[in-house]
Amino acid sequence: MFKQFINNVQGADVYMITSLLIFSVFFVLVGIYLFMIDKKHAKDMSYLPLKD
Amino acid sequence: MISTNTIESFEYDNRIVRNFGVATIIWGVVGMLVGVIIASQLFQPAMNVTQYGTFGRLRPLHTNAVIFAFVGNAIFMGVYYSLQRLCKARMFSDFLSKVHFWGWQLIIVAAAITLPLGMTTSHEYAELEWPIDIAITLIWVVFGINMFGTIFKRRERHLYVAIWFYVATFITVAVLHIINSFELPVSFMKSYYLYAGVQDALVQWWYGHNAVAFFLTTPFLGLMYYFLPKMSNRPVYSYKLSILHFWALIFIYIWAGPHHLLYTSLPDWAQSLGTVFSIMLIAPSWGGMINGLLTLRGAWDKVREDAILKFMVVGLTSYGMATFEGPMLSLKNINAIAHFTDWIVAHVHVGALGWNGFLTFAILYWLIPRLYNTVIFSKKLINIHFWIGTLGIIFYAIPMYISGFTQGMMWKEFTPEGTLKYGNFLETTLQLLSMHQMRAFGGLLYLSGAIIMSYNLFKTMAQGTLVANEKAEAPALSKEFVATGSDTYWHKWFERKPIPLLIGSLVMILIGSMIELIPTFTIQSNVPTISAVQPYTSLELEGRDLYIREGCVNCHSQMVRPFRSETERYGEYSKAGEFVYDHPFLWGSKRTGPDLHREGGKYPDSWHFHHMREPSSMSPGSIMPPYPWLLEQKLDVSQTADKLRAMKTLGVPYDEYQIKHANQDLKEQATVISENLAKEGIKINPDKEIIALIAYLQRLGTDIKK
Repeated sequence: MFKQFINNVQGADVYMITSLLIFSVFFVLVGIYLFMIDKKHAKDMSYLPLKD
Repeated sequence: MISTNTIESFEYDNRIVRNFGVATIIWGVVGMLVGVIIASQLFQPAMNVTQYGTFGRLRPLHTNAVIFAFVGNAIFMGVYYSLQRLCKARMFSDFLSKVHFWGWQLIIVAAAITLPLGMTTSHEYAELEWPIDIAITLIWVVFGINMFGTIFKRRERHLYVAIWFYVATFITVAVLHIINSFELPVSFMKSYYLYAGVQDALVQWWYGHNAVAFFLTTPFLGLMYYFLPKMSNRPVYSYKLSILHFWALIFIYIWAGPHHLLYTSLPDWAQSLGTVFSIMLIAPSWGGMINGLLTLRGAWDKVREDAILKFMVVGLTSYGMATFEGPMLSLKNINAIAHFTDWIVAHVHVGALGWNGFLTFAILYWLIPRLYNTVIFSKKLINIHFWIGTLGIIFYAIPMYISGFTQGMMWKEFTPEGTLKYGNFLETTLQLLSMHQMRAFGGLLYLSGAIIMSYNLFKTMAQGTLVANEKAEAPALSKEFVATGSDTYWHKWFERKPIPLLIGSLVMILIGSMIELIPTFTIQSNVPTISAVQPYTSLELEGRDLYIREGCVNCHSQMVRPFRSETERYGEYSKAGEFVYDHPFLWGSKRTGPDLHREGGKYPDSWHFHHMREPSSMSPGSIMPPYPWLLEQKLDVSQTADKLRAMKTLGVPYDEYQIKHANQDLKEQATVISENLAKEGIKINPDKEIIALIAYLQRLGTDIKK
């Protein structure tokens, strides 16, 4: 419907693809980290509110 | 690695927590009361009392009161309590705590005075004028200094996940507030936004959406991660999930703003980006909800007996419902029906009443007896509150869903002959009155619950004694810390360092913001300019300011979407190029009344005159309140030239001659309208406010017809 706008913006599709890439890379990184996390540390952290 | 340090004694500041708690209770009741009043105005126009009490002026008061006064104070209450304990330190500065508390309350009072007086910028949830915006900025900085000061002097090496949410809230709200408050002051309590039209709309909904994200959601998730384990006496279900939840949520949320502008004149790619990220948002939102609910695993027997946990469970479930519904509403086909209808009102209230309201109530019930070293005055009253509140939500939400769906379908229904089945907009409004009555009843139930809670909590306070300074002990934190073993992981580094955490959060939210906002600003020259679109005349500009003052935008949109059902009803769909001189944009977000973008020239001046004097005289059965004061009050023209000059500064092509002759032009145009009215037997002086408003309404959307 508003094709005139997207046609006028040079490289608008680049923004879409860049967004998707940033998103994917970000999640892969957080995912890798979550697999690597030390279980004992995670458990200790989760008990913090109960220790005060 | 914590070295063997001496145990230090210190005291938690409970007085500041209590103060924010009391403010939460009081402003909550006030905000909800205003909500019930404006809900009633939608089926009983006589409830619009005086020019200071119309729906258009009270609706922003309601939203500001519940968001910034009720929820805002609740956030500060919870943060001040949990931060001290998670950091094992007293707040950084008692003085800053006091400045924060009283400053915030003064801002609320300023809002409660200025909004009914019609002093508004018209940006939703950002209506307050520039001096108050500056005050908000200063007080927010005070909050930030106090929070980071406390974090710096902590006695706990690692920052618990709740604190990450507080840090992200602080920095993001600061960025949102500052960018959405770029205004050029014209006088004390009057300003124009720097952006116009499409850009202004995008900035506003980038802000509006993320105000929901970072004021109503992230701080409450932080509170959930602290208070739910405390209430259920068990740790959060998955700390790993909370890490994913945090980074994913703050990263994705910021992109979703444009889903508020689907089918508008916003560039298509920005709309698509908003939709895509809105759908992705389900994952972290539900991750948070599931993490909360699973924390109660093995403790459901407690939920049966403990009304506080019941509040938490309904609150979390409401959060899950609202965050599932939000992405669904971002799908264009659903949005086409739901947008501008009561469906959106239902959606936000499931979040506000269920998530924010119920979590706040639970925290208050848990906290107040502890602050006063006593037990709750009446457990029975908590149970009554829970059930009356839950019924209130049901009575609120269900009628509004039905109403929204009915409204959306009626607007789009055609006869077999191809004409609109409900050509008269009013028919669709009148169809919904019984639903609005039920909604008001739901709101009344919810308010009654809050009043019962106030009684219960004040009685609890009366029977106990405030432990203003609670004694605590913790080992001092060693200044020198060498990370070894698993402590070298990068995320543990974040967990130890508040400033990198702050910067990390900032980077996350800036990525989405910049990708979304920058192209829209750089295409300014690409918004197809329409040569016929000219700046408003001085009289029309004054009329537009009256439209803003009266809050017309709360019930009327100015955005004809490109649907046959809308172009049939209103006329040509709205083009981006038509709004280039609109500081601020007035597209609106709700159609209690019809769209007005093509209102110009539709009716004679006399129709508008009578309609504003007594709407039901032109539209029998109309629920719009009368505006008789517009016929009596003289238009204030003392700043007209200044307003034109301000607009010129913002890029509106007024020349010096127009600015110099602003008042003279205004008088001439007003006289023509006054003479037009006289021909139809209406005697009115050209210096009255109604003349300016008619001039504006008659100009709306007419340029492209030239």
